[in-house]
Amino acid sequence: MAQLRSTLQRLPLWFGLALKWAPGFAIGLVFGLVFGLTAVAPARAAEPMVVVVISERSASYLEAAEVLVRELERGAPERGGVARADIALMTSGEYATAPGVAPKLFIAVGAGASSVLAARESRVPQIATLLPATSFEQIMQATGRKPSAVFSAVYLSQPLARQFDLIRLALPEARRVGVLLGADSQSQAPALQAAALSRGLELASALVGPGETAYPALQKVLEDADLLLAVPSPQVYNSSSIQNILLSSYRARVPLVGFSQPYVQAGAVFAVYSTPAMVSRQAAVMARNLLMGRGLPAAPQYPQDFNVTVNEQVARSLGLKLDAAVLADRLRQLERTP
Amino acid sequence: MSRELCLALVLGWGVQATHAQALVAVTEKDFLNDVPLVLSVSRLPQRLDETPGAVTVLDRNMIRLSGARDVADLLLLVPGFQSSTSFEGDAPQASYHGGFNPYAARIQVLVDGRSAYSPFLFGSVAPGLQTVALADIERIEVLRGSNSASYGARAFLGVINIVTRDPASTLGLRAGVTAGENGVRDAQASFGWGQDNASFRLGVDRRGDDGLKGSNGHNRINRVNFRADLRPVATDELQLRVGGQAIASGVGYAGNVDRPLHDRAFDSRYLQLDWRRNLGAEADLAVSYAHSAETFQDNFFYALPAPFNGITVDFGGRASGDSLSIQHTVRKNADLRFVWGGELRREQVTSKPLYNTDEPQQTQFTRLFGNVEWRAARDVVVNAGGLLEHSSRSGDSFAPRLMANWHAAEGQTLRAGVSKAYRPPSTFESSSNVRYIASGVLFQIASLSRGTAEPEKVVAREIGYLGEFPRQGVSVDVRLFHEQIGGIIRRAQYALPPGTQLLQSASGFAQTSDYANAEDFAIRGLEYQLKWRPWAGAQLVLNQAWTNIDSRDANAALAAPKLASTLMWTQKLPRGVDLSLIHHERGSMSLQGSSVQFPMRRTDLRLGLPLQWGKQRGDLALVVQNLGSAYQDYNGSFQFQRRAFVTLRVDN
Repeated sequence: MAQLRSTLQRLPLWFGLALKWAPGFAIGLVFGLVFGLTAVAPARAAEPMVVVVISERSASYLEAAEVLVRELERGAPERGGVARADIALMTSGEYATAPGVAPKLFIAVGAGASSVLAARESRVPQIATLLPATSFEQIMQATGRKPSAVFSAVYLSQPLARQFDLIRLALPEARRVGVLLGADSQSQAPALQAAALSRGLELASALVGPGETAYPALQKVLEDADLLLAVPSPQVYNSSSIQNILLSSYRARVPLVGFSQPYVQAGAVFAVYSTPAMVSRQAAVMARNLLMGRGLPAAPQYPQDFNVTVNEQVARSLGLKLDAAVLADRLRQLERTP
Repeated sequence: MSRELCLALVLGWGVQATHAQALVAVTEKDFLNDVPLVLSVSRLPQRLDETPGAVTVLDRNMIRLSGARDVADLLLLVPGFQSSTSFEGDAPQASYHGGFNPYAARIQVLVDGRSAYSPFLFGSVAPGLQTVALADIERIEVLRGSNSASYGARAFLGVINIVTRDPASTLGLRAGVTAGENGVRDAQASFGWGQDNASFRLGVDRRGDDGLKGSNGHNRINRVNFRADLRPVATDELQLRVGGQAIASGVGYAGNVDRPLHDRAFDSRYLQLDWRRNLGAEADLAVSYAHSAETFQDNFFYALPAPFNGITVDFGGRASGDSLSIQHTVRKNADLRFVWGGELRREQVTSKPLYNTDEPQQTQFTRLFGNVEWRAARDVVVNAGGLLEHSSRSGDSFAPRLMANWHAAEGQTLRAGVSKAYRPPSTFESSSNVRYIASGVLFQIASLSRGTAEPEKVVAREIGYLGEFPRQGVSVDVRLFHEQIGGIIRRAQYALPPGTQLLQSASGFAQTSDYANAEDFAIRGLEYQLKWRPWAGAQLVLNQAWTNIDSRDANAALAAPKLASTLMWTQKLPRGVDLSLIHHERGSMSLQGSSVQFPMRRTDLRLGLPLQWGKQRGDLALVVQNLGSAYQDYNGSFQFQRRAFVTLRVDN
């Protein structure tokens, strides 16, 4: 504790940043770690073995980086363990201006970092993490790269199959799943359709045109659907629009199924989500396998670990009896049975 | 009003003009970033099976399918309600478990939370029911039963809570026209603009018909309503409402010197400002200010024998109300939620003819209220609350309520409780002073309140049952009630001191009346609503209410019918055509204090054809009200005849 405090005191600027960026002591701890890494790494003569590039220094990225480092540190080098001193951490901005580093592995945390790395590094293996599947697909499209033994990802977003399985478990009476799509999420339509059909559900989708409010499309969907599944789209679901979407769906007594914990806090009835820590642990396993010479998996991975969260007040008010823990267990069971 | 309107209009256009949306790709930020809390504690209403009382909700679809042209007529679909289409009183009246007087003053009407009764017209809610166009209503929540603990003294026997549509959900142009028999000519247009954080709606509409057969008819209501919803930051919401209406109608009877044919006008306007702040996951604060003003014109010439020319009998005047209220909603934990707050309210009524003075009659109310919703056990919700009110006219009163809801089984709820409420005498009932003077001679004192009337009170006991049978598509709502009224305020004749009695010969002016607490009596009965979806696209709603009023007064005893039944059948037909058939049948009753009793039998039909033009939707509907023979309405000489009309509506 005292050691950490003195570390922080030695760099008051960073300490100030820590206070600015994130509340709480935990973040201070992460910054202590970050300071240690970046301060130590350049001083070494040898190249770092692993370079972790984060999109920006804010709470979620730092949390993800901290878990990554902690997980990589565990165990002996022959079991893929990496000494803390052999891990460097930098932001994508720092990476872009830094003289070439040549580690054994890059781990990009966030879509921003992943995009910079994918464009600049083609020789060193890299793992993209803490980014939604759609971001990774866009990066592949932009760079022309394909997943390979040296280029893979662990997503933050949930597989549609899991989301639809949860819908079946939580709302067994529901038949029609409503979705609102924007220009930025329209490409998901076929996958959504397929996921719904394979579970005997119907998809009621409506497109929100650019510059339009979501209301007309929302009204159409609410008339047809038994629930509304939120699909990430800054055009449709943003901090301005969410109020009307949540209020309208609540009024129509159509539960809104979210895709993140903050959505459930705001008023979505439930969501399946993975934390940055969960995703990082999985990325660390992937990294250790690579460092042990096993290469990266052929396909990018969705998070294996997840949680279910329920807004008890909203569920109760909609007359739904939902238990987050029970739902999560049944969902895990379902995924274990082939 | 116009200045606020202009400001808001300018503001609205400005916001829209600067609004531009850049396309941003989906990233992890969509998953990780905070989302503003929307369904905060005060936005989560109680479930119907956990409310402290019976609630009937009329939603937008039900309103559309009913074919009704105003809220009063719509209330016929709520068990225990009586309503009239007559404008003879002021506007169509509606009452719950009996009107007892020409003006419905024992229920409360809220329009988006603003109390909309008329201080001028004895607290009548009839003009308030007409405040907004039906097309702008999202839903109407009718709280059947005394609810003063939550809604103040006016909620003596029930509450009608009109909730208008969010401006964000009524962007663009919406319009409708209705025309048909009986001079039915309604028109409505509303335009909404803005975007998610600042949305606006301006609507104008009129409702017109020739009234009941035998009445002076030609009833016109013209309205304008503006609403702005602003969210400057994620935690705060600001709403502004401004509006006004003019109700013009023909009243009186041909050949009746005491009430000849003449025109009458009731104009009202309001401004309402609401601010809601979210204080975190477990608390909300709301502050509201409302101002309303009304003017009433109703006079006619009364000929007198020579040497006097005659006098002008006048009921006109004006009134205003101002209210400032604050409400704090807190969830202590998953099992305990409470709301508490206070209100300061001032009412002023000015009428030389009614109060014999140009000075305003002022009443100040100070109110403190609170309600605790406590999940006492896994299946039991207890609501305990009360309203402490101080009135500058009638002193202090405390209206408590205790209600328990027990979820006996899945979808089965039993409810039992007791509440007490007071209705203070209206300004007229406590201070009237109506004198008829011609050529400096006092002919008659028609009404002189000595101010002896105390607030009337009600102790309401009820047992309720709510059943949901989703597999059978059935839901049931039953209310067994016993409402003990104490000291109902009635007009009472009294003799003026000898020597003050003047001009006995003038008929109708022969007696002087006061208002005083009369008898105690009980309203007992049972009412239920059964909803059933028997086959695809169909819904049957059956309401029945048995009411027994043990008043010694023959009219009061039949202020509500012994039995009233309503059956509504709605059916979705091929090509999306909506068919509705509504049949009302009720026993003899004395509507709104009428001295004659008559029953009612009415069947309404509506056929609606959905239309679509590009993105704009709408419908074309044929409505026939009262397919059968004419029935008496309001009093013995007015008749509601068959009315067929066609409505064309363009919605967003």
